[in-house]
Amino acid sequence: MTAVREDTVLTLRLPFREQLAVHRTVFEGGDGPRVAVVSGLHGDELEGLYVTHRLAAWLEGLLGERPDALRGTVALYPAVNPLGIDTLTRGVPPTGTDLNRSFPGRADGVVPQRIAHALMDALAGSALVVDVHSSNVFLREIPQVRINQAFADRLLPLAATMNLDVVWVHGSLTVLEATLAHSLNERGIPCLVAEMGVGMRVTPAFAEQLLVGIVRTWQTLGVLAEDLELPPLTHEPLLADDGNVHYLNADVSGLFVPVIHHWTGVRAGQLLGRIVSPHRGHTAGEVLSPVDGALFTLREYPLVYEGSLMARIAAGGGPGGRA
Amino acid sequence: MSEGTLLRMTAPLREDFAIPYHDLGPGGEPPRVALVAGLHGDEANGVFVLGRLASFLRRLEGEGTAGRGLRRRVLIVPAVNVLGLNTHSRVWPFDRTDLNRMFPGYAAGETTQRIARAVLDLTRAAHYRVDIHSSNLTFEEVPQVRLYEPTPDERATALLFGFPAVLERPANPVYSTTIGCAWRAYGGESFVVQVGQAGSLQTHHCDHLFRALVRFLVATETLAGFDLATEEGDIHCFGVRQTLPVVSKHAGMFVSPLEVGSWLQAGDVVGQIYDGFEGELITEVRTPMGGLLSGVRRQPLLLEGDLVARVQTRQQLSEGLDIGLLGHAQ
Repeated sequence: MTAVREDTVLTLRLPFREQLAVHRTVFEGGDGPRVAVVSGLHGDELEGLYVTHRLAAWLEGLLGERPDALRGTVALYPAVNPLGIDTLTRGVPPTGTDLNRSFPGRADGVVPQRIAHALMDALAGSALVVDVHSSNVFLREIPQVRINQAFADRLLPLAATMNLDVVWVHGSLTVLEATLAHSLNERGIPCLVAEMGVGMRVTPAFAEQLLVGIVRTWQTLGVLAEDLELPPLTHEPLLADDGNVHYLNADVSGLFVPVIHHWTGVRAGQLLGRIVSPHRGHTAGEVLSPVDGALFTLREYPLVYEGSLMARIAAGGGPGGRA
Repeated sequence: MSEGTLLRMTAPLREDFAIPYHDLGPGGEPPRVALVAGLHGDEANGVFVLGRLASFLRRLEGEGTAGRGLRRRVLIVPAVNVLGLNTHSRVWPFDRTDLNRMFPGYAAGETTQRIARAVLDLTRAAHYRVDIHSSNLTFEEVPQVRLYEPTPDERATALLFGFPAVLERPANPVYSTTIGCAWRAYGGESFVVQVGQAGSLQTHHCDHLFRALVRFLVATETLAGFDLATEEGDIHCFGVRQTLPVVSKHAGMFVSPLEVGSWLQAGDVVGQIYDGFEGELITEVRTPMGGLLSGVRRQPLLLEGDLVARVQTRQQLSEGLDIGLLGHAQ
């Protein structure tokens, strides 16, 4: 029997009358694998909320037409930092603690640790967890999967069918050990971090792209019936790592005005944008590509300080796709 | 004796901004001591005291009294997060980055990585380095030294401040991004000092901190001509398993009449929790074990699971009880 239910994995009382509750929607099918999609660890990242909406709509449609095709269980966690989402706060209010630096958490800990612990408990036994992030308000990211190299062997095959444009395998950092993804992967629960779009915004096309990748990957895991017809993959990932990713940080403060579109191929020496002074008519600095490659990160928020990241380029590649 | 600039940067619209420091005592030698405060722009105690200390040391130099003054070079950075201080912001105001999560920094990286790198480059050569904090807006801390996996020398030197408490804390992922951790790569001795509470100036804590720093400079033979031995109070050292977090099981409004630094018996009341709407007392919070009250909550609005106090216990706590609740880092 298939069923949809909504429940909470954690409820905490707030100081004055109200409560904080972490909700999920669970689509229960057969005895197949359990999978989950988590979003809203950071309260200013909204792309994942639209992804869970689209997945819920897709699953509701599936249950209407082919309920037998849901062989496993899908849990959607749209906003695991609900107070942050509702108050436009990146961290967990009121302290602002970064929830994604609070894992694996503890049941008797402070609020972010309790949320983290409840999530680790709820996600135990999952065959795949997709943790959707949307950069921050400063940078626009092409849909990508980020993988800690410590878990690359297991995660790369899963990332390959996620229909995203970049798979970035990055080095291990001690501070990242406190993330949801690291904590799950360390316990043997595969977790892919999807980054896309920009903070405080929704990019519907990116959500549709990721949706295809997620349901295709679910099918390979046996969550969805083999004979269920799914949309084709349309994007082939470009592989990025610490060796071919180039960071472009501002040499001077001012207004960064790009002259190039996000996710385009660039040549070494090509002009990407200018940093200008609002006070005077001159250009304070030109931003040039250091290499041939694919521009996969582009600054969205125009104001830059010296050092602000304006772009990231994966050398040697170009925007691809199966379409 | 001079004022230096550890970093100068352009700003998008304002004039260029700089992070200034005091370079005091004999020149031409590596610094003996580096004192840093204001990595967080809302922690005023350290900023105020380091400014006053620089003034005190400069005046001594001006007086030229025989036998009194700096024998060794001292660097003082009263405020790293200058823009945060000026705008009442704990973090770097533009991108909300916590400067004490950006170490060891990177000279070609993000703005805050560049600032972190510049602070580290200036201070790393000092034999003794001290990073001064004032908790946060929520909590008040008794003046204390915090040690993370200390060397035997650091354990011994920590006593020279004369603070009532020396607390050892376990290293953790967040600590790995702080200046205190970054200094360790360069040998010497490093200390994190916590005094009072962010968001306001507590003059009694400031007096305590000022005397502690002078005492430290004297005891390390950096400053001559003062004898503060008579001021010595009791110093208590606590290991990583001697910090008991007192966590609330209830939400509500918390009030505590206690002063940090008080000694508690098991079962003593730490504070009361009231229902903010009904006004009724929900519960009294009691400490399950006795010890030194090293920190207490001052922000009244309490969530379930919030920390209301820390008690430093005489006995060792069991494995796993305390680690996650110690607070990550400064």
